[in-house]
Amino acid sequence: MLQHGNDAGQPAPAPSPAGASRRRFLTAMAGTGAAVAAPALLTGCGTARAKGGNLQFWNFYGPQRSPDPAINAQSKWFTDMVGKWNATHARQIDLVYLPQPTYLNGFKLPSAFATGEGPDIFMLSPGDFLRYYNGGVLEDLTPYMEKAAVDDFGSALDSRKVGDKVYALPMEVEPLAMFYSQQLWEKAGLSEADIPTTWDQMLDIGDKLGSRTTAGLVFETNPGYYQNFTWYPWMWQGGGDVLDERGDVAFDSKATRQALALWQDAVRHGIAPRTVPAAGDVIGGFKGGNVGMWQQGIWNVSSFKAFAPDYPYGVFRLPTPPGGDYVTALGGWSFCANAQGRDPEAAAEFCVWALGSMEDESVDRMVDWCVGAKSDVAPRATALERGAAKGGYDSEVMRKFKDEIFPGGRAEPRYPPVVYKAISDAIQGTMLAGRGVGSEIERATRSIEAYTKSYKGASLI
Amino acid sequence: MSSVAAKERRAAAATAEAPVSTRGPGLSRRHREWLAAALFLAPDVLGLLVFVAVPMVLSIALSFFQVSGFGSYEWIGLGNYERMMNDPLFWDSMKITGLYVVILVPVLFCVSLGLGLLVKQKLPGMGVYRTALFLPYVISLVVVGVLWKFLLDEQTGAVNRAMRAAGLDGESWLGSPSLALGCVIAVMVWVMMGYYMIIFLSGLQEIPKEYYEAAKLDGAGPWTQFRSITWPLLRPTSFFVLMMSTVAAITGGLDLIFVLTNGGPANGTSLAIFYIYQQAFGFGEYGYASAMGSFLVLIMVAVSAVIFKFTRGGRFDDGE
Amino acid sequence: MASDTLTSTAGRAGGSGSGEGPGRRRPLSPRAALTALAVLLSVISVLPVLWMLTSSFKTRETVTDGRLIPTDFTVDNFVYVFTEVPFARYLWNSFFISAVITIAALFFHSMAAYALARLRFPGREKLFGAIFATLLVTAPVVLIPLFMVARELGLLDSYAGLVIPAIFNAFGIFLLRQFYLGLPKELEEAAVIDGCGHWRVYWNIVLPMSRPILSALAIFFFLANWNAFVWPLVATNDQDLTVVQLGIASFQTQYTSNWNYILAAATVAALPMLILFFVFQRQIVESIKTSGIK
Repeated sequence: MLQHGNDAGQPAPAPSPAGASRRRFLTAMAGTGAAVAAPALLTGCGTARAKGGNLQFWNFYGPQRSPDPAINAQSKWFTDMVGKWNATHARQIDLVYLPQPTYLNGFKLPSAFATGEGPDIFMLSPGDFLRYYNGGVLEDLTPYMEKAAVDDFGSALDSRKVGDKVYALPMEVEPLAMFYSQQLWEKAGLSEADIPTTWDQMLDIGDKLGSRTTAGLVFETNPGYYQNFTWYPWMWQGGGDVLDERGDVAFDSKATRQALALWQDAVRHGIAPRTVPAAGDVIGGFKGGNVGMWQQGIWNVSSFKAFAPDYPYGVFRLPTPPGGDYVTALGGWSFCANAQGRDPEAAAEFCVWALGSMEDESVDRMVDWCVGAKSDVAPRATALERGAAKGGYDSEVMRKFKDEIFPGGRAEPRYPPVVYKAISDAIQGTMLAGRGVGSEIERATRSIEAYTKSYKGASLI
Repeated sequence: MSSVAAKERRAAAATAEAPVSTRGPGLSRRHREWLAAALFLAPDVLGLLVFVAVPMVLSIALSFFQVSGFGSYEWIGLGNYERMMNDPLFWDSMKITGLYVVILVPVLFCVSLGLGLLVKQKLPGMGVYRTALFLPYVISLVVVGVLWKFLLDEQTGAVNRAMRAAGLDGESWLGSPSLALGCVIAVMVWVMMGYYMIIFLSGLQEIPKEYYEAAKLDGAGPWTQFRSITWPLLRPTSFFVLMMSTVAAITGGLDLIFVLTNGGPANGTSLAIFYIYQQAFGFGEYGYASAMGSFLVLIMVAVSAVIFKFTRGGRFDDGE
Repeated sequence: MASDTLTSTAGRAGGSGSGEGPGRRRPLSPRAALTALAVLLSVISVLPVLWMLTSSFKTRETVTDGRLIPTDFTVDNFVYVFTEVPFARYLWNSFFISAVITIAALFFHSMAAYALARLRFPGREKLFGAIFATLLVTAPVVLIPLFMVARELGLLDSYAGLVIPAIFNAFGIFLLRQFYLGLPKELEEAAVIDGCGHWRVYWNIVLPMSRPILSALAIFFFLANWNAFVWPLVATNDQDLTVVQLGIASFQTQYTSNWNYILAAATVAALPMLILFFVFQRQIVESIKTSGIK
């Protein structure tokens, strides 16, 4: 301990905003005399800055090997990309693979950042954007990008921008739609003409398709950012929102109530299950005959192709409520650079080189990802064109995604944890605990209002 | 670490070998005993200090700060504790924890005691039964979580398939808050019962059989024998099991919740420990999580102090 | 012994009032009823594990078919687990880490427990109370500060970082102290009169006598560390340091779960403990009894 005390006495490296507040923290700590050992330990924060070595790129795709050929192709896309960079640049990059659940629900990334051990380059979802931006760890990518490239991304960058500055580059756009089993459809005596366009029709058909071992209609049931993401379209369709365009809380609305009631009724009447079939295994659930309809994302198209190429399934746009307009939610991950990492400039340069330059190589890389390794809508107009020209959207399902489902899309919002949690609790409480829609909305509204009042940081919308 | 240990060993050996001639006036012998004790205790005390006590103090210190999750700290005094007092989700999680402990501990106690009594019998193949009943304990909670998620699946799980075969409707085991909490408790009992069964078994086997023989001569039936001999003489074991299982119930099971229910549905299995974990590692609220964690530790200290007092300082000298 | 204990509980379980030995008049004797009960409970206890084992030999199509015995028997899942994923490496890591922790912990804990139980020094009870109190410190609460401590000591992403923080645990000290409190005083006194110092008493007398409880604790420490999940997850990034429980986690991806592979991996992770248990079960059972109380 003593030895570490000595370390703490040495002059601090270049001061930063975080460093300053850390010193305040330490002064306060010394004042309270709470812990003798604490100063030495806490000054260690941010040591990654001083560290040399290769840039660390944390992701949940590769390098790994999987039973799913699609996942192997995705892993290869990552290793090829980094291999190419390393062959042509002095600053080397190490690809660090984290299993997806660890990355998504785990605490690996937050705890690494909290202790100054955060990766230099990492993948970010819209739901996490503000937390990392407000934490000051996102490097501004705008100086490294051409204006034409920013325009090429267009609205796909909206949820990754603060003001005019770009802080993350999306690699994919993933719209949600309804997947259905053509087998069960026929067995229930239904035809193409029966594809539902309204909520009531959807519930009716879900009822027809369901049995004791088959879930007629599946909504996500596990609490998390993902469930919120899949629920937003139902709220948006009726014109509802969590925050209005001025950033005021608008959660208490008819549209929100009917969206919560939709999921609640579907579960209450046994049309939708309380847990996702086959433990969330979409392909397994459909193939096993356990699912009639499932609200899912475009990424399953590549999994179907890899695992069940002959399985007959279809997709259709999310049905709408009376008087509502079609909307779906667009997800997708992006690359970003750690502003407090070893070499933020090189990390930012890499992100732009990989996904956001006007070079052919960069555009083609995105095409490879969106129509080759994975099945996604490309976030750049040029890449979408090239992908279409390559035949990536020729199949019936992909064509529907590109031409019918994607155009009515709205990007996943970037609400911070407290707002996410309030909405999540409302969805869970009404859907699975049978609580009143009104009281849950009231509770969520209260907690979002309390948060937005004291919130300091970039715009929530 | 090992070189330190070796040094101590040498030092301890040196003090141990010097002795007899200098035994003299008692005082030095006492001091020698002190020194030996210090050396014997040094590695563990140092380790516990560095890896348990210091983090705990740090965690209490953190509870007075707003932590951004990115290395910036702002002193907010009791702000986190105020927030805790007004956080309905925290109190919900405390209620669920209370319910969980109040159900799990007695159920586990009764099941283990029952099994202990059962496997004490001399029956053909008893070794096999003991093995079978203890077996779940050796499996990690991660694997247990994966396994039960598979078995309890609503559509394809073996449990519901069996129920349907028996003409019943399946249940959504992990899909409704109260059932899910019940499942977590049941799985915990399944995992832990074998361990406490063995503890009870050893307690039971220490009761002199003459007591039972005497009781039988007096015409006492099995129930009377249990009440007047087994129960009172088993008291030290019972306290031990109660204490261990209570502490384990309040702090443990995170791996299982994480894999099996992730705190859901509708926060129905969001135990306090899980909520703290979620705030810290999910949302980066380390300061707030530290405040709640410190509060939970305080409660544990209170609960344990009560049990500790009953067990007379952890010594199980006499049951009567 | 057999008969009295039998009747003492047979009556409770079997519901036959009179304790006059196995009553032949009734169709079901208490003994048979107890055996049936034991068999039933054993099956309930083992069935889920058995289900995991057999399901790991099923194909992806049949893994959720609800049958205990696989119809399409395959070992591909295991081949996959060992060839496509470095599971052998994971197993070795878990084994090595658990073994080192176990040995170090037993050595340190028995020393500390001996001092707490048998040596007289000022503040002994207070120190024991303090050590005991560390049992109440919850791992999730101290995870971040522990991570800070480990980083400052340069322990992250190394075997040392997986091993050293896991050694120190008051539970072992507590149980060993209970055991040492129960040893006859005469042993030591004789040794002291023979001129043995405390180290020699510990090394030559106390340690050999505590072999049963040490072997019990060894099994438990090994087990607990083999099954540990949270700390290895936080303390390592290096794929070469991945332990087996983390290996299972990497089998789960967000949108699909291949139960056949996951269950095979789970089986691989659980099997060493099951084997250990079957080989040493007599010692385990006998020694939990010793370790439990006194």
